[in-house]
Amino acid sequence: MKRLFTAFALACGVGAMVSAQQTAKIPRLADGHPDLQGTYDLATLTPVERAASSPLVLSDEDAARLEKQTAQRKVVQDRALDADRKAPPVGGDGSVGAAGNVGGYNSFWIDSGSQYTIVDGKKRASLVIDPPDGRVPPITAEARQRATQARNQAATSDTGAQENDPGFERAPGAYDDPERRPLGERCLMGFGSTSGPPALPDYFYNNLHQIVQTPDSVLILTEMVHDARVVRMNAEHLPPTVRKWMGDSVGRWEGDTLVVDTTNFTEKTRFRGSSPDLHVIERFTRTGPNTLLYRFTIDDPKTWAKAWTGEFTWPLTNEHIYEYACHEGNYAMGNILRGARMKEADDAKKKTERKQ
Amino acid sequence: MKSRFAALMIGAAILAAGVPVVAHHAFGGEFDPNKPVLLKGKITKIEWVNPHTWIHLEIVKPDAKDGCQFTSGQKCEEWMVEGGTPNTLVRRGITKTSLANGTEIVVDGYQTRDHSLSRANGRNITFPDGRKLFLGSSGTGAPLDGADPTEGGAKPATGRGRGGK
Repeated sequence: MKRLFTAFALACGVGAMVSAQQTAKIPRLADGHPDLQGTYDLATLTPVERAASSPLVLSDEDAARLEKQTAQRKVVQDRALDADRKAPPVGGDGSVGAAGNVGGYNSFWIDSGSQYTIVDGKKRASLVIDPPDGRVPPITAEARQRATQARNQAATSDTGAQENDPGFERAPGAYDDPERRPLGERCLMGFGSTSGPPALPDYFYNNLHQIVQTPDSVLILTEMVHDARVVRMNAEHLPPTVRKWMGDSVGRWEGDTLVVDTTNFTEKTRFRGSSPDLHVIERFTRTGPNTLLYRFTIDDPKTWAKAWTGEFTWPLTNEHIYEYACHEGNYAMGNILRGARMKEADDAKKKTERKQ
Repeated sequence: MKSRFAALMIGAAILAAGVPVVAHHAFGGEFDPNKPVLLKGKITKIEWVNPHTWIHLEIVKPDAKDGCQFTSGQKCEEWMVEGGTPNTLVRRGITKTSLANGTEIVVDGYQTRDHSLSRANGRNITFPDGRKLFLGSSGTGAPLDGADPTEGGAKPATGRGRGGK
């Protein structure tokens, strides 16, 4: 309780300071509360955590240098290729991660931000502000055990299917059932906590969020996989037996800051390994006609020994969210599951041949 | 030394392949690393949908003398190539009609693990001369993301990626 109070007090203190500075210029609705409505672009180069022993604020010179490097990398990625190029190598191209040894797709599809977030007029090196070292606290032993159990659940006969094939995930049974596939792949929710809470940049693409506000409800629409979270204003939380994928969000105004409190999570989303007891407090403060400061405090004693807090600026954009309608074009799911079945059959055939 | 060379080669491969980082789904589970393809053909249709765009190509078989031009005759086969989310391009003013049907493109990638399907990932999608699609040089007038004022482009990116100024 004490740690939550400390985090809360910290969040309140700085939030009040910001709103006091900026009160004059922000747009307001008829009820006098700040008008948070609009579409925001969360794309930023500022990572969640920063390197150990480095400062929160980036100097103008460092920020300019890093932003230039990013722009130059993009220019290199966008360069023309050899007109007479051949097919990529047999056995894979060495790509790692989600690209799984077959490569991803061209850089022109990517929109991961080009600048570091600016808070109080300064460029920031991390979203995390508490702990002051800008690092997310280590997860507890209990959380580590939970993560291992989740990985090992439903071990099945296809454990051997991943051998000698880096394209396939190694988790046993990972391709047995559509429900074993990640939520993003199933078009159910965005990946990388895009909808949240907390709503974070995904450092890849589709970073728009739209806020629609009435006195009774605030809607936060996330472009990625069109996740919509409805915040019930001045309401009590639902009973603990009612669990929701994005949690149960209730809101209230503290001065000019919208405070959104979310509990009642499920075990399905697991933000950075969190438990269903995750408690997220978000604070939305208009800091000017075109900006909103978003602050989030994460508390889950089953996962982190102490609560932690991050913040970044959401700049307004005049761009529109293009409808996600994810199931419509999700041929990938069928391709993935069918591919796994064919590999199983092929492996079984090879095994039989070896025995003979 | 050998491992250093290997690391260098992997780095070069990643650079060549564009942006093989996080994505909506497991490309490695969908496409077969042992079935590389190089596809040269004409665009017949673009499915401008999420989570990923699919570009349809008409490819003339090697033994065919004449181009099929969007027919499903025996001399041609249709392939589907998986790209990224259309949202990024829509925001730069590019739509599914920006590339006319019949535009010739070259795609390198890997075929789906189900080899009965004529589908591949668009690891690299270019015009026949090697220029990448949807960039400023393609004639679409698309800027990168507006971060570089010298890069030009028809549509300024207002308020985006501006960090909060």
